[in-house]
Amino acid sequence: MIGLNHFLTLSTILFCIGIFGVLTRRNAIGILMSIELMFNAVNINFVAFSRFVTPTALVGQIFAIFIITIAAAEATVGLAIVLLIYRNFKGINVDNINIMKW
Amino acid sequence: MNFPILSLMTFIPLLGMVVILFTKEGQDKLVRYLAAFFTFIPLVLSFILLSRYQGSTSQIQFVEKFDWIPSLGITYFMGADGLSVPMLFLTALLGFLSVIYSFGDIKEKVKQYFAFLLLLEVGMMGVFSALDFFLFYIFWEIVLVPMYFLIGIWGHGRKEYSAIKFFLYTLFGSLFMLIGILALYFNVEPHTLNIMVLIEKTPLLTRSFQLLTFAAFFVAFAVKVPIFPFHTWLPDAHVDAPTAVSVILAGILLKMGTYGFLRISYPMFPQGAMYFAIPIAILALINIVYGALVCMAQKDLKKMIAYSSVSHMGYCMLGIAAVTVTGISGCVFQMVSHGLITGALFLLVGVLYERAHTREIGAFGGLWIKLPVYSGLMILFCLGSLGLPGMSGFISEFMVFIGSYPAFKVIVPLAVIGVVITAAYFLRMIQAMFLGTFNTKWEGLSEISAREIFTVVPLAILMIGIGVFPSPLANMIKATVENIVHLAVR
Amino acid sequence: MDWIIPAVNLKLILPEIVVCLFAILILVTDPFLSKERKIWSAHLSWIAVVIAFIANIRLWNLQEATFTNMFLVDNYATFFKFIFLAGSFLIILISMSYLKREEILHGEYFSLILFSTLGMMLLASGFDLVVIFLGLEIMSVSLYVLAGFKRSDLASNEASLKYFLMGAFATGFLLYGIVMIYGSVGSTNLGQIINHITSNDAGSNLLIWAGAGLLLVGFGFKIASVPFHMWVPDVYQGAPTPITAFISAGPKAAGFAALLRVFLFSFTTIKMDWTMIVWIMAALTMSVGNIVALAQSDIKRMLAYSSIAHAGYVLVALVAGGETGVSSALFYLLAYTFMNIGAFTVVIALGRKGQDNTKLEDYSGLGSRSPILAILMTIFLFSLAGFPPTAGFMAKFYVFGSAVKSGFTGLVIIGVLNSLISVYYYLRIVVLMFMQAPVTRTDNERIKVAFCAILVLIISTWAVLQMGIFPQSLLSLAQASVSSIF
Repeated sequence: MIGLNHFLTLSTILFCIGIFGVLTRRNAIGILMSIELMFNAVNINFVAFSRFVTPTALVGQIFAIFIITIAAAEATVGLAIVLLIYRNFKGINVDNINIMKW
Repeated sequence: MNFPILSLMTFIPLLGMVVILFTKEGQDKLVRYLAAFFTFIPLVLSFILLSRYQGSTSQIQFVEKFDWIPSLGITYFMGADGLSVPMLFLTALLGFLSVIYSFGDIKEKVKQYFAFLLLLEVGMMGVFSALDFFLFYIFWEIVLVPMYFLIGIWGHGRKEYSAIKFFLYTLFGSLFMLIGILALYFNVEPHTLNIMVLIEKTPLLTRSFQLLTFAAFFVAFAVKVPIFPFHTWLPDAHVDAPTAVSVILAGILLKMGTYGFLRISYPMFPQGAMYFAIPIAILALINIVYGALVCMAQKDLKKMIAYSSVSHMGYCMLGIAAVTVTGISGCVFQMVSHGLITGALFLLVGVLYERAHTREIGAFGGLWIKLPVYSGLMILFCLGSLGLPGMSGFISEFMVFIGSYPAFKVIVPLAVIGVVITAAYFLRMIQAMFLGTFNTKWEGLSEISAREIFTVVPLAILMIGIGVFPSPLANMIKATVENIVHLAVR
Repeated sequence: MDWIIPAVNLKLILPEIVVCLFAILILVTDPFLSKERKIWSAHLSWIAVVIAFIANIRLWNLQEATFTNMFLVDNYATFFKFIFLAGSFLIILISMSYLKREEILHGEYFSLILFSTLGMMLLASGFDLVVIFLGLEIMSVSLYVLAGFKRSDLASNEASLKYFLMGAFATGFLLYGIVMIYGSVGSTNLGQIINHITSNDAGSNLLIWAGAGLLLVGFGFKIASVPFHMWVPDVYQGAPTPITAFISAGPKAAGFAALLRVFLFSFTTIKMDWTMIVWIMAALTMSVGNIVALAQSDIKRMLAYSSIAHAGYVLVALVAGGETGVSSALFYLLAYTFMNIGAFTVVIALGRKGQDNTKLEDYSGLGSRSPILAILMTIFLFSLAGFPPTAGFMAKFYVFGSAVKSGFTGLVIIGVLNSLISVYYYLRIVVLMFMQAPVTRTDNERIKVAFCAILVLIISTWAVLQMGIFPQSLLSLAQASVSSIF
């Protein structure tokens, strides 16, 4: 029987993979994808909690839909920025994008 | 509603500053006369203050009190007693004289210079008349800003370094005062920042709280006085400041520190006063002897006088630490007397520096022959500073020693050594500069001008006047000092 | 399952509606404006802000929730909206001449500013974590774009990318925190969270703890507190200067609006448990911000670190908590908005096309080149340093006072020493302006300041002095904003 804990474990693993990706990836798109992974971990949590903790109210599921929407918006803006960076810096490796230093 | 004499004295210079800022660029003469006018009015008012002041009581007089920020219990509360009236007079006098002196001294950015000088007077007047902590703190801090610019823009030598050092040192101290004020505010019911009300209530607080708050205020005032080891800003600031600013710095700013002790620390925290009596007396002793010894080693005349301030302010602290009527009266006398004498000495040093462009003691010799009037005045004030009987310095030092001897039977005799060293370095300086063979290099020096004489003569008159007839000043401060002692030994 | 149509009181979200409609209007009409008329978008946007401000005034002293308790209008939210709208108004004014100068005057800039303002307003009013999240995202996504608005400028691109990546990363943490709290409470409504925490022994509930911690991380990014501050210097330096001013004023205040709402109102009963962490954060934020600011040679970067330090001072108010703590935070944020925008306006005024002149040595001799600008800059810097009689002093006095009142004297001592450090780097600019000759440079021409920028300078100087000398009216506003909650 798959219970709440299975979902939580899965989402925690996903979230950690996401953090790990953000911290280690050097490609801007890769970081963006890792962030999406974090968001999706949260979505799994929301849906699972909604199902197991408050089966009658749909707050969690609706929240997940909001997150998906926002994530889409963020991805749009993010990709636009990455595109701009690609044009101006001729690459999207974040290590090369540091003209400001103190 | 009474005539708001204290507010007028405080804010007329501010009005003057605004007027000066609105004059056209390049009208230096007009600016000078405006500055003189707007410092002359407070001087006139201060005479009214002196004549109207009732010395028989320690009550706060000339009170002005309005709600200002009611939701924090902050009031606009001005008033004067026997402690602040002499200081207000001194501020008005030195403020006016330094403006007059600056007529010839300052040739660049005249407008800004006088604007800052007037703002400085606002801050000093405010400190001596504010009786609400918030107001007091604001004026205390306002003093820093014009002082910083005056040293940093019109100074000599390492002026920017000195300016910022002065600023940071003093700010360091006053931030501790801010913590002290906040702590007081929240520990007294009902919450108030009224200094007079706090004085009544604070002795009820716990001993440890009193000690801590006393220490916080001590740092703020000790930096200003300055008490060893917080004194290192003083020689830098004094030496690099323009003459008129040195006068104000030595004559009034240092007194803000001792004034703070007498107005706030001692009446408010009797426990702290008792607990820290010996340490403060020892620090005062270090000030006196160390300051005097450093003077012996100085080659720069202005630096010597700057360090002599360290030594002289030590007498003030010694008088305060004893918490006796005679000691504290001596301290107030010393505050006034040091303001007059050191102010005049700085003016005279400025006179010489303007002509000779050096302040090295060893570079001169036999000036008496060439500049008799200047030398006479200089020697007069030097004698006053070393405490010659018949002048104000003698009275104050004498009173300090008499007043503090019963409390510190070991420290006071040691402090008397300071008097001997003081005499030594002043006489050495007089001998090196004014006596002996005339150094022909200074053949071209011109005698002190009438305007410059005008700036020091009032100081000389007062110095001798207080020395010969101390009773008017003594009567003025007597009731207040008795009240301070009464409060401080609760 | 029945569907209940929630009762919606549109009057309560009138300011938000106005801002949103105008933002869309600008977006729609801008393509039809000729190049010379683009400035109309700017005019539309400040008109929108003014209308929203007036609509907001009418909500003062109202305490009502709508959208099934998700959206709350109380004085706390209304006060914050005043801060946001005032900030946006000033930013729009200074942006006009800046955008013209840099030849990037496009309507969407103003539309994005309005959207971002809308997000902040939702943040302040949000009484449900959903709304807080949505507000945060609307605000941030607009800002990511605005930070990169100088499309051909590499620094601006970099700022945009860094801001975006860091912001999205922080949002991930925030969401994970929200989901934890949802998991343990079963609701995202702040009212129910309060009930749940007070009725149960929430201090031992690990899920709540983890949630609160992650929320703190998420908000910590938005308000730029140490150790979540590393994006700040680069973003502030790279973004177009009006946007830098904007980010440092409104969004920071908005982050605090939500942070204070969630932590002080919802997690009050477990305050003792999280106070220690925020205490450390506040001390670190003040110290790191001020100490690193000492070493900066670019004024935008220096103000970035100073902005970190100021977040630390507001965190002191959060540590203090209670009615005084919150009202002092509100007053501080209001004062900070004006003095900071004022300082940035001077920074903008010194720039030329394609040449920002933000190196510190560009300020030397400003006192003789343009005395008025130098004097105003001095007033703003003194205010930032917390020097009387300016707004900065009054605000610090109030914040430190509230902390002393709650017994956090140690933190106040750290804060006070920090203000001392900060004086050093603020004064360094004053020294440069008044005590040093201008470095030999080609453009010794007079500095021309656009009319709108002059207006902004007048407004912010007035506000800084008003709040410093006669703060009573605004203080009582700040106090009235919190009294309804406690």
